[in-house]
Amino acid sequence: MMYLNKIAIIAYYTFREIIKSRVLLNTLILGLVLLFTTYVALSFTYGSPERVTLDFGMGMLSLSSVGIAIFMGVGLLSKEIESRTAYMIISRPVKRSAFILGKLLGLGSILTLNIFILSSFTLFLYFFVGGEFQPLILWTILFTILESLLVLFIVALFSLLSGQAISVIMTIGLYVSGHAIHSAKEALADKSIVLNTLLEAYHYILPGFYKLNIKDFLLYQKELPYMYLLNIFTYGVIYSVALILLSVIIFERKNLD
Amino acid sequence: MLEFNDVTKIFNSDLLKKPFIALDKVSFEIKPGEVIGFLGANGAGKTTSIKMAMDFIRPSSGQISYHADLGRDKVDAFKRIGYLPERPFFYPHITGREFCHYMGSLSEVSRKSIIEQIQYWGPRLKIDFALDRVIKSYSKGMLQRIGFLATLLHRPKLIILDEPLSGLDPIGRKELKDIITQVNKKGVTVFFSSHIISDVEEVCSEVIFLEKGKLVFNGEVQKIINEHLKMESIVRYIKEGKVLTHKVADNEKRNFIESLIKNNFELVSVTPEKPTLEEIFYKVKSS
Repeated sequence: MMYLNKIAIIAYYTFREIIKSRVLLNTLILGLVLLFTTYVALSFTYGSPERVTLDFGMGMLSLSSVGIAIFMGVGLLSKEIESRTAYMIISRPVKRSAFILGKLLGLGSILTLNIFILSSFTLFLYFFVGGEFQPLILWTILFTILESLLVLFIVALFSLLSGQAISVIMTIGLYVSGHAIHSAKEALADKSIVLNTLLEAYHYILPGFYKLNIKDFLLYQKELPYMYLLNIFTYGVIYSVALILLSVIIFERKNLD
Repeated sequence: MLEFNDVTKIFNSDLLKKPFIALDKVSFEIKPGEVIGFLGANGAGKTTSIKMAMDFIRPSSGQISYHADLGRDKVDAFKRIGYLPERPFFYPHITGREFCHYMGSLSEVSRKSIIEQIQYWGPRLKIDFALDRVIKSYSKGMLQRIGFLATLLHRPKLIILDEPLSGLDPIGRKELKDIITQVNKKGVTVFFSSHIISDVEEVCSEVIFLEKGKLVFNGEVQKIINEHLKMESIVRYIKEGKVLTHKVADNEKRNFIESLIKNNFELVSVTPEKPTLEEIFYKVKSS
């Protein structure tokens, strides 16, 4: 119980520290920019304004939340070690695992809040131009949260193993390939057995971000089975837990010098 | 309270470079109730030792153990240890008071007790006026003070301070030294590193000298000074209404005093000359 309490304390102050650093103000500005650019994009298109709004809004939401996850996640642990703020916490009766879980939970909450704020701007415009509610909208937002959390956990893990610049490059690389792997597999599967095996192995080991992208289904109002959505959600959660566990194991053994 | 037993730390930073021995089979014990100064030049291994004591880094060999009084295991012992890092840097966007509540709650201190401790130590550490300001507006001295306050919040039995006096002005250093003495009188063991020997001499009852990762000396300050007493005395006497002082070697002291008496000069005092800890440190270092 005390262990969970300490995770909550660290998460609360991480959240508070980031909120007070006026990150949310940037989110609001980003939201307004999103609203404005979507509105501008609408005036250049004919027909289905609600589809354009969703396409543009959700795309921007996904990219900006992944950007925020990378930008803030890369310094989450490494900056704490460099600036010795981590020393103040780990010198208290706090397990290292509680420290890392609290930090991730705190930043994860900020990311979620960011996505809620940004998606509310998009949805406001979507309903304003006559869009109708679809349950898949909520699933898309949930998967965007999951995607940015996955990116956060990946960049935090890399930042424990290497420098900040390398961590960012590797995370972006994984994000891009995680989205492209499915198309690459379909296009190149028949070309070579070795390539096919490699793509298959990649498919199983590295994060398949493409699975979390259901925007096309949302735009063309296609139905997706509930079980399929639940499976993707479970995949994202299991992958996140695995990344967190790996980070905890590395951080427990890491020399904080 | 804390014991280093043959502790060695080797850093292998680069495959092509020779491993760097930061600490070489160092053994010492921090006894309860004392103020122990941890001395050494920059790079002597003081901060590395403290980082190992706090489990931020692990020794390459040897053992660091906490006294049973402090706790069953590391996490339990940390409930009774206060630590202040060198050049502290805290979360810049929260206030000093929020920071104290953060640290206190992690040390399992009740909200009421945190408030009491802030009220008690805030004015003494002269940081009470800035508690509601965000930490990024703090000066170096204020950071040191708020850090020290956070170190004392949970009423620790042992406090470990890494260069607590560095960056402070002379008045700030004097005030912090007074607080260290005050805390020690309440029964708290204080272990602090410094490269300013006069500060250590002023406050500490025991001292540990490190030089290039090796233990040079470990013992009571007074004992070291007595062991290195100079064979000289300061004689003060009155001549023609003026107080004069004269330094004489001990083997000439008797003759000198006799000559003073013979010439009807009034003898005021004869004091054996004590070396400063700094002089002893350089003497030991050069030998």
